[in-house]
Amino acid sequence: MNDERPLILLVEDEPQIRRFVCAALEDEGRVIEAASAAAALEAFTGPAPALAIIDLGLPDRDGVELIRELRTWTMLPLLVLSARSAEAEKVAALDAGADDYLTKPFGVQELRARVRALLRRQKVGAGETVIEFGRIRVDRVHRVVTRDGATIHLTPIEYRLLGVLLANVGRVLTHRQLLKDVWGSGYAERGHYLRIYIGHLRQKLEADPARPCHLLTETGVGYRFQLQDSAS
Amino acid sequence: MRESNPSSRIGDYFRAALACVATTLLTLPLLGVVDAANIVMIFLLVVALVAVRLGSGPAILAAFGGVGLFDFFFVEPRFSMAVADAQYLITFAVMLAVALVIGQLAARLREKALLATRREDEMRALYDMSKELSGAISAEQVADIVRSFLGRRLEIEAILYLPRADETLVAIPARQDAERCQAHVRAVHEQGRPMHLAAEESGYRPALALPLASPVRTRGVLLVFGEHAEQVCAAERRPLLDAVASLTAIVVERLHYGEVLQEVTLRMESVRLRSALLSAVSHDLRTPLTVLVGLADALTLVRPALPPPALESALAIRDQALRLSGMVHNLLDMARLQTGKTVLNKEWQPLEEVVGSSLKAMAGLLAEREVRVDLAPDLPPLEFDAVLLERVFCNLLENAAKYAPQGEIAIAARVVGDTVEVSVADAGPGLPPNAAQDVFDLFARGGHSGATGGVGLGLAICRAIVEAHGGRIWAERRAAGGTRMAFTLPLGTPPVLEEEASE
Repeated sequence: MNDERPLILLVEDEPQIRRFVCAALEDEGRVIEAASAAAALEAFTGPAPALAIIDLGLPDRDGVELIRELRTWTMLPLLVLSARSAEAEKVAALDAGADDYLTKPFGVQELRARVRALLRRQKVGAGETVIEFGRIRVDRVHRVVTRDGATIHLTPIEYRLLGVLLANVGRVLTHRQLLKDVWGSGYAERGHYLRIYIGHLRQKLEADPARPCHLLTETGVGYRFQLQDSAS
Repeated sequence: MRESNPSSRIGDYFRAALACVATTLLTLPLLGVVDAANIVMIFLLVVALVAVRLGSGPAILAAFGGVGLFDFFFVEPRFSMAVADAQYLITFAVMLAVALVIGQLAARLREKALLATRREDEMRALYDMSKELSGAISAEQVADIVRSFLGRRLEIEAILYLPRADETLVAIPARQDAERCQAHVRAVHEQGRPMHLAAEESGYRPALALPLASPVRTRGVLLVFGEHAEQVCAAERRPLLDAVASLTAIVVERLHYGEVLQEVTLRMESVRLRSALLSAVSHDLRTPLTVLVGLADALTLVRPALPPPALESALAIRDQALRLSGMVHNLLDMARLQTGKTVLNKEWQPLEEVVGSSLKAMAGLLAEREVRVDLAPDLPPLEFDAVLLERVFCNLLENAAKYAPQGEIAIAARVVGDTVEVSVADAGPGLPPNAAQDVFDLFARGGHSGATGGVGLGLAICRAIVEAHGGRIWAERRAAGGTRMAFTLPLGTPPVLEEEASE
């Protein structure tokens, strides 16, 4: 049987959760199931999966550790399943190289949206020179940001921050990652810098800065930039 | 204690007299061989020795006896008290004076030596007792050690009165008539000053009540009593009794802190157990809830679509499972906040951000509602735990949506004094009068109808979080109708942001 659907590796020890995730992702790809970290590594010996969904509470090994190991040799998108009120765990997984996370319990639509976004990212890449979102247009070659054609002035740091966010559209970036990429590794502990500049960017780019549609806060974890307003 | 024994004291005088007689008999053969002046010297030596050995009284006896015997046996005319040579009168006077002076000096020396020995003895006994006390692990043991020490050393009895948790003094060992002097003992305990009790006051014997004063507070009362008032009231016994009382106080205090330590250890252990239980419970509940939400959700999306009644059921199952999940989270949050295990992850950040993320998190519930956000433009960054403050906003918004089914919800924030006052207001029926503060209590609910559902945990969590941030939270009725929930956060001094060099 020649199945063209992308392979999705699901690493989860609860059979019931595996069951509904498999059912939910029917349309997105073919799911390979692994009940442990060892089984997950074993799965990579076959055809390469296009995406991995990893539950952080695995029986045989710490999920974060598995992510770290995978990241030493593969850049495939990683989606993490984690509990609420476990922000530290999520941050650790993201810092280790995970691309996104889902908080349990989650709905089917949410899961599908995340999986789709990660698979699409993989296909399209981040090479476009002009990016548009809402009424904003960013020309990355000429470093010009406009709203409805009118130029918006960004400071160098604001532009660099926007650049990092745009290069990682759809991914959750932790505070630490953003601080390191924009300000340098010496600033990893100065969370307030990041928050203030994100505020500036929202003031300049969002229609309603108190209710951002693109530059989203992942409370306690970091930020996510999305091109389309997902609420709609 | 030799001084205290009258029979041995009479014996000492007898011995002094005997010494004088013996000296006379031994020196008689020397008469005519040596000069009378030398015999005087021998008598003086004997007086000094008597003083050293037997004390000042016998020494005085020896002085007079010596002069008398010298006159009688050695001075002409012999065997008579008469004196032929008037010169001898001077000899007698000087001899008597010197004997008395030497006797008194030697006797005082002896008393001092005796006192020093007794003190040393006392010290050693106290030291031994304190060694015993340091091993004591219960109040009963302390009382036993103190009682046996006082019984042995001073032949008096003692009772320890120690306060219990409710501050009532309990006698150790328990005695039936302990009540009789309770009032006096209590007074001593409260005032921290010793008190003498007459026989009728203490119950049946003269007593002395000593407070067990420790640096921190009075730790109880030591009541000592004897057959005679002298046994407990004598001034020379007070230092020893005081020392016993202060040693006892130290040990009782040590026992007290030991108990406190044990309690704290126990409490820590129970907190640890509780949080282990919490994480186990939260894991065990989360998995089936995730499955339930996921499977029900998957049912609503199957193709071809389920017939409408089945679809509705699937939706209801999903929504109820989500609600249950929310309640479980609230319970766990509250438990976590109450165990004091929550460490605030405070950072300086704009309030706007957490308002935005809360509105997004509650988007489903607020879908058809108008929410007005009115944050003062001059709001400085605040220091708070974003995750917890988001919980506060979500709970307040949920509450507003639940109790005010229609009308606008308004979020506002402004600087008031040295705090920022944040409020979430709705246009609902408003709180019942007098319920303004109660709603923040555990399991309290604003309305009295059961239809709105949900245990009143949300607002209690809000209060716990706001108070952990050093703010306060309250509810009030709006003049225009509806409820206004408000809380404050301290302003503090935000860190300085290095200005970005302009390009």
